[in-house]
Amino acid sequence: MSNFSHRITGGTDKMGAPFIAGFARSGDFRRKAVQTILLAAAIFAVLGTGDPATRFQEIGHQMMCICGCNQILLECNHVGCPASDGMRNELMAAVDRGDSNSLVEQSFVQKYGPTVLAAPTNKGFDRAAYIMPFAALFLGFGLIGLVIRSWKNRPAPAIAGGLAPVAGAELERFRDQARKETDL
Amino acid sequence: MIWLICCLMLTVACLFYVFYLPGKLYLGPEKTRAGYLHERKDAVYENLRDLNFEYKAGKVPQADYASLKSSLQDEAATILAEIARLESTPAPRKENRI
Amino acid sequence: MAEIGSFALLLALALSVYSFAAGIIALVFQRKQNPQLALAGGSIPRRTADSVSDEGSLTATLRRNSERIGETARRAGIATFIAVLLASVILVICAFHDDFSIAYIFHHSNRDLPGPYKFAVLWSGQEGSLLFWSLLLAAYGFVLRVRYKTDARLFAYASVIVASVQIFFLLLLNFAAHPFAIMQGSIPADGSGLNPLLQYPEMVIHPPMLYLGYVGFTVPFAFAMGALIMKYPGEKWIHITRRWTMVTWAFLTCGIFLGAHWAYSVLGWGGYWGWDPVENASLMPWLAGTAFLHSVMMQEKRGMLKMWNMWLVFATFWLAILGTFLTRSGIISSVHAFAQSSIGDWFAWFLLITLVAFAFFFFKNKSHLRSEHKLESLVSRESSFLFNNLLFILLTFTVLWGTWFPKISELVQGNKVTVSAPFYNRVAIPVALLLLILTAIGPLLAWRKTSLESLKRNFMWPTIGAIVTAIFLMATPQSWGSVFGLKPWKDIAYFYSLMAVSLSVLVTLTVASEFWRGGRVISRHTGQGMFASMVQLTHRNTRRYGGYIVHFGVVVVIIGLAGAAFNQDKEKEMGYGDKLAIGPYTLVCRSYTQDDSPNYESEWAMLDVYKGDKQIGTMTPVRRFYHASQQTSTMPDIRSTLNDDLYVVFEGVNQDNGHPILRAHLNPLVMWIWMGVWIMLIGTVLALVPNAPAPVRVPAQARLEPAHAAPVATGD
Repeated sequence: MSNFSHRITGGTDKMGAPFIAGFARSGDFRRKAVQTILLAAAIFAVLGTGDPATRFQEIGHQMMCICGCNQILLECNHVGCPASDGMRNELMAAVDRGDSNSLVEQSFVQKYGPTVLAAPTNKGFDRAAYIMPFAALFLGFGLIGLVIRSWKNRPAPAIAGGLAPVAGAELERFRDQARKETDL
Repeated sequence: MIWLICCLMLTVACLFYVFYLPGKLYLGPEKTRAGYLHERKDAVYENLRDLNFEYKAGKVPQADYASLKSSLQDEAATILAEIARLESTPAPRKENRI
Repeated sequence: MAEIGSFALLLALALSVYSFAAGIIALVFQRKQNPQLALAGGSIPRRTADSVSDEGSLTATLRRNSERIGETARRAGIATFIAVLLASVILVICAFHDDFSIAYIFHHSNRDLPGPYKFAVLWSGQEGSLLFWSLLLAAYGFVLRVRYKTDARLFAYASVIVASVQIFFLLLLNFAAHPFAIMQGSIPADGSGLNPLLQYPEMVIHPPMLYLGYVGFTVPFAFAMGALIMKYPGEKWIHITRRWTMVTWAFLTCGIFLGAHWAYSVLGWGGYWGWDPVENASLMPWLAGTAFLHSVMMQEKRGMLKMWNMWLVFATFWLAILGTFLTRSGIISSVHAFAQSSIGDWFAWFLLITLVAFAFFFFKNKSHLRSEHKLESLVSRESSFLFNNLLFILLTFTVLWGTWFPKISELVQGNKVTVSAPFYNRVAIPVALLLLILTAIGPLLAWRKTSLESLKRNFMWPTIGAIVTAIFLMATPQSWGSVFGLKPWKDIAYFYSLMAVSLSVLVTLTVASEFWRGGRVISRHTGQGMFASMVQLTHRNTRRYGGYIVHFGVVVVIIGLAGAAFNQDKEKEMGYGDKLAIGPYTLVCRSYTQDDSPNYESEWAMLDVYKGDKQIGTMTPVRRFYHASQQTSTMPDIRSTLNDDLYVVFEGVNQDNGHPILRAHLNPLVMWIWMGVWIMLIGTVLALVPNAPAPVRVPAQARLEPAHAAPVATGD
């Protein structure tokens, strides 16, 4: 959670839109939802393209150092790391050149392999990484819906434990005892 | 050599502890049907107290409170009746054990 | 010495095998003697004299003596603990005696290692930590077997399950990862030392806590499995295991956050959680265990979700073992990974066998787990627990999925991918926020049925409070501190932070309103003051109100986590008098030097810290080079306040001019995390306190309960 700070602009909106839109029910609600999401996506997309320093931070937090320390590129902290300094310089140069985010990422992937990206991409099988949790969420909601429906429709159960219901004066007497013993 | 003796002593001590069982074993209280019903009664009582409390705290409306309370009291009464029956006719203990 | 240790391990294995086998024999024959557990209803078939005479003599003997055999099994379990304890003590003694003829001691200790770390040798490597795991399991088993009188039969079943897990770990210790293995060739003069990253005070406490948590979940699992196999009548077993589960959960919580604190204080990258597979491995059982702690109340109070709880408690146990498998097998790359070895296969088999065994008994005795009650309303505590469980399990699944995805990707598309923080931020944070909303609503719902009006009424003020907080955070000037002047539209991380803080306020207010509402009822009833009433309220239902305090602790932690959106860092080479400004602080380099000690040599810088024009202290970040292991490690200096942490790392030295290179991090609100954990622990301890008896007006005759009807399980 410490990496809460990583700029994840441009990721969540891409994922969120189709799902939320797909599951909105009424037409009016759906239209509004889509509009809101598109607006949010547009805002985040515009904000994503900031000045070079911000972009350096943003992209640098989406990549890993490849020296084996398993740290985010901009968090790799050992002096004399054989990899991170060179990678940072490369990234800085690319940002200064004005390369787009995807171009920078592509060139890094070509050079260092796909593990240089800190998270799966939105292409090909990688997408499954994001789809599965949300699919599980909606599946779970569906299941809970079914469970709740079946529980609600269940007939009032007999008292468990093979107990025969009591009636008449006996019932009243014991109900009274229970009431007395549980009144606040 | 010393370690061999230590190991031997350890083994003997363990075997002695595990297999030397003089006298009659005490295995704790036996669980009875009445005991089981008392557990059930405690759970229903707990639910009744919760319901009373939540009603007084303003979470449950009057109508719901009355019906929920009534059904819980029925359940409690049934269990209490069974307990009373069991306890008034002392059954042979052996039959009721697990 | 080493020979005695080896022998003790072998003896422990033999004893636990006996405890397992004899336990099963005793239970099988007792079961045949009384085939029907008729407590829950129905008649009790009596054995006839004929059926006895048909049996062979051995069976008859076993049957007659089943109780005595059961007792020897129980005692063998206790003796297992003594044997494993002996082996562990011997390993620690050998570490203190610098007995480098034992390979494990050679690899994880050296002569100049400080005493506490020599003690910690027991858990600082593969073999030792497996022994430690085994020791803790044996200790839990010991307590379980000593307290067997609570419910002898159920405990006998649980004891067999614990023995089976114990056998696995003892097999590993004896045949795959022997802690007393002897060095080949001549005995070295000194050991190769403990990994410097592990040489930090928390090393002495973090692993034991974590392991107590991991191992502890074996106990609720053993009880659940025992109750399932014996078709335990009623839900009393949950009452018996409740405290075990809560204590274990508290240990795991403690272990996880001590680990986070350790990473923060030692690793020097300025963070406390890196979503490394090993960290995830500890998070998964925690999430599943938390789900279990909630949903088990459904079973205890309403007799619902019995099958689900069975799977949940199994999943918690299984995920704890899976975590160990991940770290030990090398199957998933991690910074924490132990030396790769063949024990991964052992774990894989064990995981498979436990899964199959559990599934077998589950499907065999499924009919016993049918629910008794119906759901009265959608707006009820019951349905909120359903959603709570969904979200917890979803988080568990997300973490599991993210941890395994590199491996899955390799299988499917032929190349590994990295799944690190950005992935979890995208997927887990929204779910966690949903969970936070549920935490706010849940306490306001009554069991069975709540009216929407009362929900609206009780939810209105907390919601207004949360909205006001959000507006306040957005409207205040940024100069007040990191979380003020928040512009959520600028970055989604800010948006999440704002949501996290406002929802935390929402939860806090609903929790507070629950205390207030409950206190008012008691106050009206008894005429006491409000505070005394709230104390009494808590004492009457410690689990519920202790639980609310845990919720409050969680939101304090979340506020701390939300602060990470505003982290800043700067790196600079600093000569005498050089300045580094970060946030409201300015660091001025006063001096830098080197130092030497038998265990390590250190380089450090001394910095004056200014806030505005005023000097508020000095900081001395250090870098150490350990002689024995020939490794370096950083000791960041951290200046913590409620508002932010100033975190300075000595990164290295410029070889040309000898100037130190320093990196300063400004991490807002980190202290809230550690405070929140304390609150969570206080809440858990409160929840463990027995309830004050309900003040009831009992008619005189009802007070005289017959002796045999006394509560069967008094301890849990």
